[in-house]
Amino acid sequence: MKKITILSGKGGVGKSSILASLAITISKEKDIICADCDVDASNLALVLGAEKQEEWENLTTNKEAVFDLTKCNSCKKCFEECYFKAIGWKDDKPYLKDFSCEGCGTCQIVCPQNAISLKEINNAKIGYSNTRYNFKVVSGQLNVGSSGSGKVVFKVRKKAEELSNNCNLMLIDSAAGIGCPVIASVSGTDHAIIITEPTPSGISDMKRAFKVVNHFKISCSIIINKWDINEINSGKIEEFANSKNISIISKIPFDKKFAKALTKMIPIIILDKNYEKIFLDIKEKLFKEIYKNEKI
Amino acid sequence: MMVKIIGITGGKGGTGKSTVATAIAHQLSKKYEVLLVDADVDCPNDHLILNLKRNEYKIVQQRIPTWNKDKCINCGLCGTVCKTNAIVNIPNKSPMFISTQCNGCGACFFKCPVKAINWTNKDIGKIYFNNQDKIHLLSGELKENEPVSEFIINSLNEIITKIVQNYDYIIIDTAAGTHCPVIAALEMCDEVFAVTEPTPLGKHDLEVILNLLVKLKIKSNIILNRSDIGDKKFIEVLSKDMKIDIISEISYSKEIVNNYANGVPIENKQINEITIKIIK
Repeated sequence: MKKITILSGKGGVGKSSILASLAITISKEKDIICADCDVDASNLALVLGAEKQEEWENLTTNKEAVFDLTKCNSCKKCFEECYFKAIGWKDDKPYLKDFSCEGCGTCQIVCPQNAISLKEINNAKIGYSNTRYNFKVVSGQLNVGSSGSGKVVFKVRKKAEELSNNCNLMLIDSAAGIGCPVIASVSGTDHAIIITEPTPSGISDMKRAFKVVNHFKISCSIIINKWDINEINSGKIEEFANSKNISIISKIPFDKKFAKALTKMIPIIILDKNYEKIFLDIKEKLFKEIYKNEKI
Repeated sequence: MMVKIIGITGGKGGTGKSTVATAIAHQLSKKYEVLLVDADVDCPNDHLILNLKRNEYKIVQQRIPTWNKDKCINCGLCGTVCKTNAIVNIPNKSPMFISTQCNGCGACFFKCPVKAINWTNKDIGKIYFNNQDKIHLLSGELKENEPVSEFIINSLNEIITKIVQNYDYIIIDTAAGTHCPVIAALEMCDEVFAVTEPTPLGKHDLEVILNLLVKLKIKSNIILNRSDIGDKKFIEVLSKDMKIDIISEISYSKEIVNNYANGVPIENKQINEITIKIIK
């Protein structure tokens, strides 16, 4: 199964909108599955109009420190050695601050009294939806204020793998940014599509996204969304792509209909038949990239 | 006057956080001493929108372990306590270390029975500071392939604490999402404006971030951007349910899009009104 990640660095450039229509296009000839790895703000199922989740399960990917104060001798070692400053000190005893514990276990190791243990915590839920387009979307949602988004991303990808049966393609929607959850979305995949827009921010963030993809030695292609809002900047993106030998597989013009599609929760390709040709073209070029050395 | 620290966030990406943050900073800077903090350290863009120069101010480092191979007895305990898979045990050899996976927690250092582990540092990002222009800009930037964005935010927060008394208003522009780096950036704020758009996606992500703000006990407001593209009801219902006001509606305009694409801060009636509410 080929795995393709969609990322952008900058948020709101159209990752999920484009992925949804591309998924529908590909699903007409291949069995696919989608993984929404934006576990802070999972939107892909919404874009595809699948409001109902088939099943949710709670997920434990993190641990946090628990103090047995009857054993504690107030030596303060845990407080001093916590690199994440997650331990507070009050009435000469430690307490755990909100939203800070990484579950690393250093406090447990340094405690001379064996007064600290690690307890597993539910930090996310994970589930999948059946879309009306004949493929599933696996989503995860990190609990409010929980840490560990990278690990939850891996769980979402694993769940998608379990549900993939005979699928020959997995499309992964990553979060904005280039940090921990994005690295977890990109690593070990076969190809990445970087979506960008012709603004100074879009260009800067595209370059940063490219560095991450390049670090993992993953081949990539670029889609310029809203390419006509600034043709000079679009030209700069093309120059960059040329210099790095990356294909630009589509230039999509600005269209208010994308907002309408989101509001109605109908992908653009269903809302406006004119987009069928655009996405067929993206699919063709994408396949050329990912099946370069193989027979399709 | 007392300094007021305002956070700009939103959950969903691309709703206009940086556009609003830079516009408010620009407006306030006409009368007040303003520090704009770009806390979207994965993808910092405020300097691009305002066309401000960034001067390197500090390199942010994180500690990482290093092994003294003469002392190491190849027991493998360090690898077993590492929760981020940065240490790979190799039989009869010192372990292999993957630096980009390491968050510096120290579990390996303290677990080692023969004190064979010492500390060294790796660069994980940079802080830029510009205090020559009308708006002072503090901008954090994570090094590509480093995972722990919040360490850069912590460094920003330390600097803010040191220079806070120089300013009337500090505007903190956060990343998209709701995880660690966003929480770290919001911790300093007296009041937060969540920028959203009138779509089911905007609503979904806004609800997550508002729930977080309630948990953090920070006063919050909603700014509805591109209010005429989509359906406002999505956000109005949520605003009512959560009793958090929509304090401004900014309608879509081609001019804003063009200015953004050309690196110019926006000036309009709604931004003026938001600024007046902040000053009150």
